[in-house]
Amino acid sequence: MTLLLDVVTTAGVLFTVAMGLLVVFGVLKIINFAHGAFLTVGGYAALVTTKFGVSAWLAWPLAFASGGVLGVVVERLVVRPLYARPLDAILATWGLGIVISQVITLWFGREVQFAQSPLSGTVAILGDTYSLYRLTLLGVSVGLGLIFAGLIEGTRLGLAARAVIMNEDLARGLGIDTRRVRLLTFVIGCGLAALAGALITPLSSVDPNMGVPWLINAFMLVMVAGASFFSLALASLILGGAQVVVSTFVSPILGGMTIVLFAAVVLRLRPAGFGRD
Amino acid sequence: MVSSVMGAALLVATGPLILDTYSVSILVRAFLYALAALTVDVLWGYTGILTFGQAAYFGIGAYAAALIFTHVGFDWSTILLAAGLAIVAPALAGLVVGWLSFYPGSTPLYASVVSLAFPIVVTQMIFSGGTFSGSSSGLVGYEVFDLSIEAWFRIVGGVLLLAAGAAYMFVNSEMGRLLVAIRDNEMRCAYLGIDAPRVKILLTAALATIAGLAGFGYANFSGVVAPEIAGFVFGTELVIYVALGGRGTLVGPLAGTVLIDTASSYLSGDLPYVWQLIVGLVFIVVIVALPNGFTPLFSRLWRAIIGRRGRPRHLAVVLESPRMDAATTTATLEIVGVAKSFGSLKVLQDITLSVVDGELVSLVGPNGAGKTTLLRCISDGRERSSGTVRVNGEDIQGLPPNRVARLGLGRKFQTAAVFESLTVAECLRIAGVLRYRPSLTRPLHVLHLPEAARAVVETTGLVNVLSRQARLLPHGQKQALELAMVLALEPKIVLLDEPTAGLTSAERRRIGHILTELASRHRLAVILVEHDLDFVREISSRVVVLHQGRILLDGPVDEVVGSRLIRDIYAGSSHD
Repeated sequence: MTLLLDVVTTAGVLFTVAMGLLVVFGVLKIINFAHGAFLTVGGYAALVTTKFGVSAWLAWPLAFASGGVLGVVVERLVVRPLYARPLDAILATWGLGIVISQVITLWFGREVQFAQSPLSGTVAILGDTYSLYRLTLLGVSVGLGLIFAGLIEGTRLGLAARAVIMNEDLARGLGIDTRRVRLLTFVIGCGLAALAGALITPLSSVDPNMGVPWLINAFMLVMVAGASFFSLALASLILGGAQVVVSTFVSPILGGMTIVLFAAVVLRLRPAGFGRD
Repeated sequence: MVSSVMGAALLVATGPLILDTYSVSILVRAFLYALAALTVDVLWGYTGILTFGQAAYFGIGAYAAALIFTHVGFDWSTILLAAGLAIVAPALAGLVVGWLSFYPGSTPLYASVVSLAFPIVVTQMIFSGGTFSGSSSGLVGYEVFDLSIEAWFRIVGGVLLLAAGAAYMFVNSEMGRLLVAIRDNEMRCAYLGIDAPRVKILLTAALATIAGLAGFGYANFSGVVAPEIAGFVFGTELVIYVALGGRGTLVGPLAGTVLIDTASSYLSGDLPYVWQLIVGLVFIVVIVALPNGFTPLFSRLWRAIIGRRGRPRHLAVVLESPRMDAATTTATLEIVGVAKSFGSLKVLQDITLSVVDGELVSLVGPNGAGKTTLLRCISDGRERSSGTVRVNGEDIQGLPPNRVARLGLGRKFQTAAVFESLTVAECLRIAGVLRYRPSLTRPLHVLHLPEAARAVVETTGLVNVLSRQARLLPHGQKQALELAMVLALEPKIVLLDEPTAGLTSAERRRIGHILTELASRHRLAVILVEHDLDFVREISSRVVVLHQGRILLDGPVDEVVGSRLIRDIYAGSSHD
């Protein structure tokens, strides 16, 4: 039972962490390698709420806002010239990740710190006790997934974003402000990344490089998922489940590379991953 | 070039006399990193494969040495064993990574994904090795060569210079040009019979051994190995060095690695985070605004100062007709009952057609009739949904384009597909790779062209611009170049998709004449997709009309072109 809960809550965490990357990759077709740094920004947003002694719940909106504001600057200065050079975009955003984590180090110091959790304790569920926060996080991730999937796949912004990808000139001809659509999409992706960073801080400590290990798993999941929220959820469940199972029964160290290896093999056998062709 | 090599050699020889021990030891490490960076440059700068994985081969080579010296001992036999392992293990890993990364239709992004996954797998394996591999603290205290730091400097510096020289020769050789051709247009390569994935797999494995040897040197020099040297963060650092120095320049990545790594060693003590911040900022600026790094900037500056324009490299290309091979084989193309459907949409149905040498068959029909699809089904064995295609008697079953090309079939695309960054001569050379093995060391100096290709090159004026870059050619000459490239393959069957689209009428007449010559004089079987009925009438020996995925008519020119049916189709009044 605990194993099952571990699987679904881990999938929830992975899904949350990868969502921002998915929005950016799915719509803009570039990979934001600064995603890990945005997670870190969110983690520090949570730390700031702890330091000022305000409610830990405030960490979530604060993280989303700081990620979004940073996203505006980054899109303008770094990402905008690189939409046509996707491999270079990976590199430039990786450089950006270095810059962000060094700035954080200069500001907050390099030591490991802890942010308070808005919820603590355990609940009894079907005869076992389980972390209340992990369960809450699962609910939050499903909720966020539904909201943003609806936003991207069901609204005018989402429609405009897809039009921009298919044919930018035509979209512009139809009166869509393509620059604004791109900016908004990127900002949402960055906001989501930072929010995810705040969401995971009660599960892990806060340090200037906390985002990097998550980045790789998120990247692999998004590669497998393609562009849809549903396939990302599926990928998180299957690959995250495999990670939990390997970590529990074989070794946690091998569990650490399960997602990476699994994803590479899946993509080799089926380049479209879990998405439709 | 020669003077800079001499200068570098002099620096390597005298460096230890001028510098203090600390600097010398930092430089040795930087040289080893530069060796690994060199492999990144050949892969990324020349072949277009962005790789984060070179650190893993470096780590494998380093751990090969450290593990054997720790667990087996240190004498001549174990040194040989360790060195052998530091070559073989990275090579095998490179083959596996290459096989995973490169297959027909694989994307550059996927190769980058694998190159990112690989170092993570290697570091996790080191972690899980417990005391055997030293886990997270690494291995230290094993016995190593008793060499002075100055000797290390000269050995590693010498090896680096040799490797750089070899790399310079390699990237400028015919093989090096093939790598650029693959980067520019892998599909064109496939239709010229080149197995591009195989070339990339072998290149990955070969470069893995060099990175592995650099790691072997590192383990011996530093006397300590840790999982970080195999990790993807080190892999990205190598990419940063190459990007800042200038991808695709060899010199830039070497200089970039040595300068940045040395500066890091000095500055990270005083300004630990600020230094990395600066590197990160400069890296972003370079990627966004200066994608080719600092080397091109410096060389332009240098030329401005000494007032000498870089001379365009003079290519003494000799056109040489190949040895006459008895062209006794006859060309035959047999298509029996071929169909192609996308889901429920039937694009081609029941196509049966045969063409022999000396024929020039024009395929006509309105847009969407399935002409280009038919060409694709003939040239790629994996395309059609059912039916049989035999090229010169061989069933093409599920063969990929490069294997079909080897059966003697050449295909020209509708939009001219040439290798944009190569010269005209190099494009033609790459097209002949199947018949003449590309040299790994020598640049192109003699261009062998079969009669037909040579005729095209001479009559279209390409012969005068052999050393011009293909991307600078006007549209008409690009089309002619691609035609010549297809003919340089010496095919028996040629498929041409609207070879005269967008050409002037003079160019069109010239191409028309060449095409009839191909069929009548060179005895090729030519299949041509064409819209212009007057042009078709002038040059064809036979016309096939394709309409809504079926063959409606197949016969001599006058009979078909004059028929009522074809006028109806083109006037759009057919109601079948």
